[in-house]
Amino acid sequence: MTFSALIALLLALAISATLFGRRALKLFTLVRSGKPAARFDDAAARVGAEATDVIGQRKLLQRLLPGLMHAAIFWGFLVLFPTIVIAMISAVDPHATLPWLGAQGWYASLVDVFALLVLIGVIAAFVIRKVQRPARFKGSHRGEADLILGLIAGIVVTLFAWHASQIALGLNDYPASWAPISSGLSHLVSPVAAPLERVAVWAHVLIILSFLVYLPYSKHLHILVAAINVYFGRTRARGRLEPIDFEVPEQDVRFGTAQAADMTWKQMLDTMSCTECGRCQDVCPAYATGKALSPKLLIMAMRDNLLSGAATPVVPGAVSDDVVWDCVTCGACVRECPVNIEHIDHIIDLRRNLVMVESRFPDEAGTMLRDVDRTSNPWGKPQADRMQWAEGLGVRVLRPGEAAPDVLFWVGCAPAFDERARKAAVSTAKLMQEAGVDFAVLGPRESCTGDPARRMGDEYTFQRLAGENVATLNGAEVKKIVTTCPHCFNTIGNEYPDFGGRYEVVHHTEFLAELVREGRLSPAPSDRTITYHDSCYLARHNDVRAQPRELVAAVGKPVEMARNRERTFCCGAGGARMWMEEKRGRPINQERVREAVATGAETLAVACPFCTVMLDDGVRETGAKLQVFDLATLLHEAVERGREGQ
Amino acid sequence: MLTADARAIDTTHLGFTMSPHEECGVEEAVRLVEANKGESVVLTLGPAEATEQLRDAMALGIDRAVHLQTDGQEWDGEGTAAALLEAIRADEAANGPFDLVFFGNESADSAGFQVGIRVAYALGRPCVTGLKKVTLEGSSVRCEQEVEGGRDVYVVPLPAVLTVKEGLNLPRYPSVPGKMRARSKPVTVSTPARPAPRLELVKLAVPAGQGRRAESLGSGAAAAPAVVEMLQKAGAL
Amino acid sequence: MTVLVLMDSSEASRQALTLARKFGEPVSMRMDAFQPFAPEALAHAAAEVDASAIFAAGTDRGNDMMARVAARLGLPLAANCVAATPGDPVTVTRLRWGGSLLEEARLHSPRPLITVAPHAVPADTGPAPPEVEPSTSVEGVQVSGHVAPSNGGVSLAEAKVIVSGGRGVGSKEGFAIIEELAGLLGAAVGCSRAVTSAGWRPHSDQVGQTGTKVSPDVYIACGISGATQHMAGLKGAKRILAINSDPQAPLMLNADYTVTGDLKEIVPAISAEIRRARAGRTS
Repeated sequence: MTFSALIALLLALAISATLFGRRALKLFTLVRSGKPAARFDDAAARVGAEATDVIGQRKLLQRLLPGLMHAAIFWGFLVLFPTIVIAMISAVDPHATLPWLGAQGWYASLVDVFALLVLIGVIAAFVIRKVQRPARFKGSHRGEADLILGLIAGIVVTLFAWHASQIALGLNDYPASWAPISSGLSHLVSPVAAPLERVAVWAHVLIILSFLVYLPYSKHLHILVAAINVYFGRTRARGRLEPIDFEVPEQDVRFGTAQAADMTWKQMLDTMSCTECGRCQDVCPAYATGKALSPKLLIMAMRDNLLSGAATPVVPGAVSDDVVWDCVTCGACVRECPVNIEHIDHIIDLRRNLVMVESRFPDEAGTMLRDVDRTSNPWGKPQADRMQWAEGLGVRVLRPGEAAPDVLFWVGCAPAFDERARKAAVSTAKLMQEAGVDFAVLGPRESCTGDPARRMGDEYTFQRLAGENVATLNGAEVKKIVTTCPHCFNTIGNEYPDFGGRYEVVHHTEFLAELVREGRLSPAPSDRTITYHDSCYLARHNDVRAQPRELVAAVGKPVEMARNRERTFCCGAGGARMWMEEKRGRPINQERVREAVATGAETLAVACPFCTVMLDDGVRETGAKLQVFDLATLLHEAVERGREGQ
Repeated sequence: MLTADARAIDTTHLGFTMSPHEECGVEEAVRLVEANKGESVVLTLGPAEATEQLRDAMALGIDRAVHLQTDGQEWDGEGTAAALLEAIRADEAANGPFDLVFFGNESADSAGFQVGIRVAYALGRPCVTGLKKVTLEGSSVRCEQEVEGGRDVYVVPLPAVLTVKEGLNLPRYPSVPGKMRARSKPVTVSTPARPAPRLELVKLAVPAGQGRRAESLGSGAAAAPAVVEMLQKAGAL
Repeated sequence: MTVLVLMDSSEASRQALTLARKFGEPVSMRMDAFQPFAPEALAHAAAEVDASAIFAAGTDRGNDMMARVAARLGLPLAANCVAATPGDPVTVTRLRWGGSLLEEARLHSPRPLITVAPHAVPADTGPAPPEVEPSTSVEGVQVSGHVAPSNGGVSLAEAKVIVSGGRGVGSKEGFAIIEELAGLLGAAVGCSRAVTSAGWRPHSDQVGQTGTKVSPDVYIACGISGATQHMAGLKGAKRILAINSDPQAPLMLNADYTVTGDLKEIVPAISAEIRRARAGRTS
C-alpha cells in the first residue's frame, strides 16, 4: 500500500508540477521578453519594502478589517507551509512525518492556531463579499474569488480533519495536548477516524496540488508574483516618471505602449500581480464621478490583453481612449494598491504612444501641446508678458550673467497667465519681501517646466523644455528654488535631476511655514474657519502635509475634510486634465467642493494654482458659500492684520 | 516690441512658426504625395534659424528642403520671388519639373500678396489664389476659391502654381518619429545675393489704438440688462 | 496724370479711389468686366491702360488682380496701404500682421501699383470716375463654376451682428449658448483660431487674420482673449462687446463695451433678458 501510495503521490506531483511548470515558464518567458526597466538598484530599500509591505502587510492594513482578514490568511499560510510537505509524506506513509519539526509541540500549536485564523479569515472574506458587498468588487471576477476562498477553506478543513483523525488514531508525532483544536475535534471524528484520516490527508494533498495547477491561470497567481512585484517597485520619488531615451536610433526608441509586447517587464509583472481587490477603484476620482476609468479594470484589461498574446493595439482594442485620458495622475490608486502596482506608469505609457506616434488625443489638449511647444507655456501667451503679474511690486528679475539670489522664486505659468492664480504669487512675493528674503525671478527666461506635456505623454517636448530650463538654471548657478505650484515643485525637484538639474526645491508653504517658525513673519490668528485641500502633488506624491497645516493653524481655525492628507481627493486638474473637458459623469471639482462645504468652514485654503482655479470654478458652479484662497494670500492678510494690531 | 532702430520686431523670448496659410500648403502637399506617390520639397528664403521651420515641415512628411539663407535682412516681395524662382528652376533642372507649387496666399507678417503670382508668371504656369479646396483631376487640378456668396471654381491644367488659405485642411500633429526622421532629411543650402528692394522698408511703427473706450457694462449675469440696452441702441435688436 | 482704379461695387473700392485721387485724375475699370471672372484677362487689360499709377482695394480679389498686373509689368507692388503720398519715390504706409504693425516704405517705381487696405481710409463721395472698357481679351485662368455655400446660416463676412466664442467657451458643446444668443439676434456665429484648432467649429467660422475679416455693426466676443491675429479680423467692426473673466485680456482692453465674469452665466442671462424684453414689448 505504501508503495502504490508513493507512486500515486509521485504521479500527482509529476502531473501538477508539469502543468504548473509549463504555465509558469510561459509567464516567466513573457515577463523576460518585456522591455527593460531599471529596477535593480537600491537593494536595501527593496528589501525594506518586502519586510513592511509583504511580511508586514502594511498597505493591506490601510483598511483595517479587510487587512486583518488577509493578514490572517497570509501569515497563516506562511506558518502552514511546512504542513504541505508533512501531508505529502503522510499520504505515502501515515506513520512518517518531517524529522524534528513534525514532532514539535510548539509547531503543532502554531498550526492549530493559524489554521483557525485562516478559517476565520476565509469566513470573514465571505461575509465581506456576500453580506457587505463593497462596490470595489464591481467588475472583478467574483466567481473566481469564491472558488479560491473555497479551496483555501478546503485546505484548512481537510487539515483539521486529518489532524483530528490522526490524533484519534494516535498517529501524531507531536504531543496532542499542544494542538487543542485538533484534539478537541478528534473526539468528534473518532468513530470514522481510520477512513477519514486517509481521505482527509489525500484530499488535502490533492486540493493543494490542484490549487497549484490553478494558480498560474487565476488571479491567485499573486501569491507568487506579488512579492516579486513589491521588490521591484519604485524606490525613487513617487512623482517622478521614467524618461524615454531619444538618443538611440529611431527604431529602437520605446515610445510608450502601443501593444502588450511594448510593456516593460515590470509593467507585465504589475498586471500579473493584480488580485482584483478594487481598492484602487474605490479611491479613483474619475471612477467616483462616473467616468470610464477604473484603475482596477484597466490593469485587468492590460493583463488579459497581455496573456492573450494579441499583437493588436491596446487602445482602443483592450482599453478605450476615454479610459486613458480620464486619469488625473493623482496617485490614489498607487497608494492603495497592496501589491504595489504602478497604474500611473501604465497610463502614461499608453498616452506616450497615442500622443507621440499616433497623434491621437483630445483636440483641446492638442492646442495646449502646440502652445507649450511654440510659446513655451500652455496658455499660448507671449513669454514677454511673464512679468505682468508683478507690476508695481519691485520684484527683482535675474538677468543673464547676474549672480544668483539666495532663493530663486520659480513663478510658474499659471500665476503669470491666469488671473485667478496670480494672487498666490503676488502674496508670496510680498511676504518674502516683508521677511527680507533675498530672491529673484527669471521673468521671460522662465519656460514651462513641461509637466503638462509630460503628463499628456509628449515626452519629446517635455525633454526639450527640461533641457532649456536646466541650462538656464545651471547657467545662473541657482541652488535653491521656491515655487507656488506643486507641479513645478515636483517636476523641478524630482524629475529635473534626470536632465542634469539638481537643486534644493521647496514649496512655498514649506518656505513660508519656516519663515513663520523663525519669527520672520508674524501672522495674527483669527476665528475664521478654514479647511485645507491637500494637493495630490504635494500631499501624496511628495509627503508635504504638515507645513501647510502649520500655516492654517497660524491664521485661522482648521477643520479637516474627510479625505485629507495622503487620502486627499483630487481637484481634477492633474494629468493635464486642466486643459481637457470632462465629458461624462459629474465634475470632479464640484465633488470636492461639496466635501469642503460639508465641513462647515468659511474658507477653503489651497496651495496650488490649478487647485485654486478648479475649486473656485467648483464654488461658482455649485453656488457654495465658500471662499477659495491660497495659503500665501491668507498668510499675507494675517501678517497685515498682525501689523495693524501693533 | 520693436528694435531700437524700429526696423524690426524685437524677437528675444519669441518663438517662430510657419505662417498658417503655408502650413496648410505643406499639409496639402504631403497628402497629395501620400495619395499619388511622388516627392515633395519645401523651400524658404530666410535666416539660418528658419531651418527649424523646414524641419517642422519635414516632420509633417515633406521629403526634402531647400534653404535660401539670408543674413537676416528683409527682402521685398519681388526679390523673394526672384530668388525662389531661380531655386525652383535649378531644382527642376536637376530633379524634374514640379506638378504643383504651393504658396501661402500671403505671409502672416509682411503680407505682400504677390510672391506666388510672380513666380507663376515667370514660370509661365497658371495661378489660382486664395484656395480653400484643391482636387487633382487627372492632368488638371480643380480649385475652389472663397468669394461672397459661395466659392468660385477654377480648373487649370498641370503644371500649376496655387496659393492657399488656412482652412484648406487641418494640418496633422507631427508624430515624434516624424520629428526625429526630419532631423536627418536633406536640406540644400545656398546664399543668394540680395537685390536692392524696390519696396523699401523705412521703419515700423505700432499703430495708435482705434480709440475704443472699453466702457464696462457690469459684471456677471447682472450686466444682462445693460447689454440688451446697448444692443437696442445699436439697432441689433 | 491719369490714374487707373480697379473697382467693384464695394465701399473698399471707393476707399481706394480716395487715395488714388492724390495721384491724378482717376479712371476706372470694372473688376467684373469679364464674365465669368477672368483675372488674367483683366490684369492684361489693366496693364494696357495708359495710366501713371494703378490702384485697387486690398480685398482678396483686388490683391490678386494687382499682383498679376505687377507680375505682368515687372513692377513692385505695395499691398494693403493705409496711406500713400506721391513723390519720387512714392511713400506708403502699409499694414503688417493684419494691422497690428505699420510699415513705412518707399516705392521705387515708374508706375506705382498700390492696393488700399479696407476700413482705413474714408470712402470717396465724389462722382464716379469715367469707366474704361478693356481693350483686349486674352486667354488665361478664369472661373469655370460656382459652389453655393453649404450652410444656410448667415454669412460671417456679411453679417450685421456676430456672436463669437473663443477658448473660454470650453468645448464644442459649450457653443450651444453662443448659438442660442446668435439665433435670438439673427446673428452669425464666429470663433477664434484656438477653437478651430481644437476642432470645435469649422474653419469657415473663424474670424481673424487668416480666417474671415468681418465688419458687423456689433461683434460680441465671448471668452476670446484677443490675440493680434484675431484682432486683425475686427478692424471693420463698429462696436465690440467683450465678455471675459479676465479684465486684462487684450480684447477687453480694446473693446467698446465689456462685461467681466463667467460667460457661461452671462451669455444665457443676455438671452433670457432679450426674451423678457421682447415678451414685455408684445404684451
